[in-house]
Amino acid sequence: MEAIKTKIEVTEKERLPVVSEREAVFEARDLAVYYGDQRAIDGVNLDIYQRLITAIIGPSGCGKSTFLRTLNRMNDLVPTASLTGQLRYRGIDLYGPGVDAVEVRRRVGMVFQKPNPFHSSIYDNVAYGLRILGMKRDLGERVEKALRAAALWDEVKDRLKDSALGLSGGQQQRLCIARAIAVEPEVVLFDEPASALDPISTSAIEDLMHELKRDYTLVIVTHNMQQAARVADMTAFFGLDVSPDGNRQGVLVEYDETEKIFTNPSDKRTEGYVTGRFG
Amino acid sequence: MRELYTSELEELEALLRDEGKLVDRAIRGALNVLERDDLELADELIAFDDEIDSRYLAIEQRIPSLLARQTPVAGELRLVLAILYINLHLERIADYCVTVAKLAKLAHGLPRDRAVLEALEEMGERCREMLGTGLEYFYARDFTDSQALIEMDRPIDRANRKLIDRLIALGPDESQREWAMRMMLASRCLERIGDHAVDIGEQAAYLVRGRFEEFTDASHKPPRATT
Repeated sequence: MEAIKTKIEVTEKERLPVVSEREAVFEARDLAVYYGDQRAIDGVNLDIYQRLITAIIGPSGCGKSTFLRTLNRMNDLVPTASLTGQLRYRGIDLYGPGVDAVEVRRRVGMVFQKPNPFHSSIYDNVAYGLRILGMKRDLGERVEKALRAAALWDEVKDRLKDSALGLSGGQQQRLCIARAIAVEPEVVLFDEPASALDPISTSAIEDLMHELKRDYTLVIVTHNMQQAARVADMTAFFGLDVSPDGNRQGVLVEYDETEKIFTNPSDKRTEGYVTGRFG
Repeated sequence: MRELYTSELEELEALLRDEGKLVDRAIRGALNVLERDDLELADELIAFDDEIDSRYLAIEQRIPSLLARQTPVAGELRLVLAILYINLHLERIADYCVTVAKLAKLAHGLPRDRAVLEALEEMGERCREMLGTGLEYFYARDFTDSQALIEMDRPIDRANRKLIDRLIALGPDESQREWAMRMMLASRCLERIGDHAVDIGEQAAYLVRGRFEEFTDASHKPPRATT
């Protein structure tokens, strides 16, 4: 019987920290965003946790991107945009007086749907933000570190002076990720980062996100449900709600661990959306 | 695209229903073989297993394709997984029916004992009832009481106990002992059928509740009055 008593080692699957041990980076409280009179999202209460990947899914027009852009004050660039409720970043009201939007964007980087490298060399693309922010010490090292972290270094190390526009779409997107992380942000936002890429480049971006999770908090908006299921730890489902005054606004329907959302969602609307029966 | 998907899911479930009905007939057939000591019926029952296997295979082959093409999630994922497992349980139950038929053939012509046969009949009918309940939970997606299924398992254990006592009490005659051994194995088959019926109920519960739990645990059986 001795052999049977030997403890069997079971490799546990990587578990998410329990809710009480998760550290919130962002806390949205009753958040609403308006474009002029039009309410784009309403009543959003959501915490985004440190070093997890959070996916935001939902039908077109449900305010996914609007919500994402509030996280680094990108909506400030839209003159008619306004906001009610509260969005705290590390406990600080992100829209409070005295908060510098440029500093917010340094700490909260962003990668867009279409790769948008500058018309300059690979090196200068990554060095750009560092120079602007005065982070010029060890510039070469910082550029290399960012390119390595974006899993691009080996492909470009011998042609750093070449134009970034000569890279493939997938490489350009990784370059944009390198550019975003070069300035050492805490959070990186991804707005449909792979929708313009082929499956191989998409898979490279997803692998990269998984790597980046060790050091960064990532938030991704995606239309690709399977992508959310593959990469995200947490998934927020936004739906469309029509209020009595006829306004159509995005609302947070359900927010939970990704596994729960894709195996046993609590809300019928989430189930309808993830199974493709709605939206 | 979703219409095709929906109809594929419906077809899978229809195949499973069909298989469920055939398996119920197989259990009844096995009991008849035992009751009547009917060699011809035993062979028919063994051949009948091909009918069940064809449904089993059809489901088994469709599921990987459905998973690959339609990537079901949420309730639909649970439905496909439940069908996958229930299909396996039904096929196993049918195999036990074949084993009973083969045992009956081996026991053909040996001296029989009425009380043992009655206990086997009792066990078999309980199994059919359990299978019907497990499958009904699944079809109705209305799963409220797992206890009912566990309760149904208890008379099977009781009948099994009664049967063993009776078999032990049978005389020293060699041919009667041989018959007793065959019936002992048949009883074991029926007991296993009951276990698979409980497992089918567990799949129904998984589909409805979204989390899997075993109703009973073979290594930590709850105390039972009769054993």
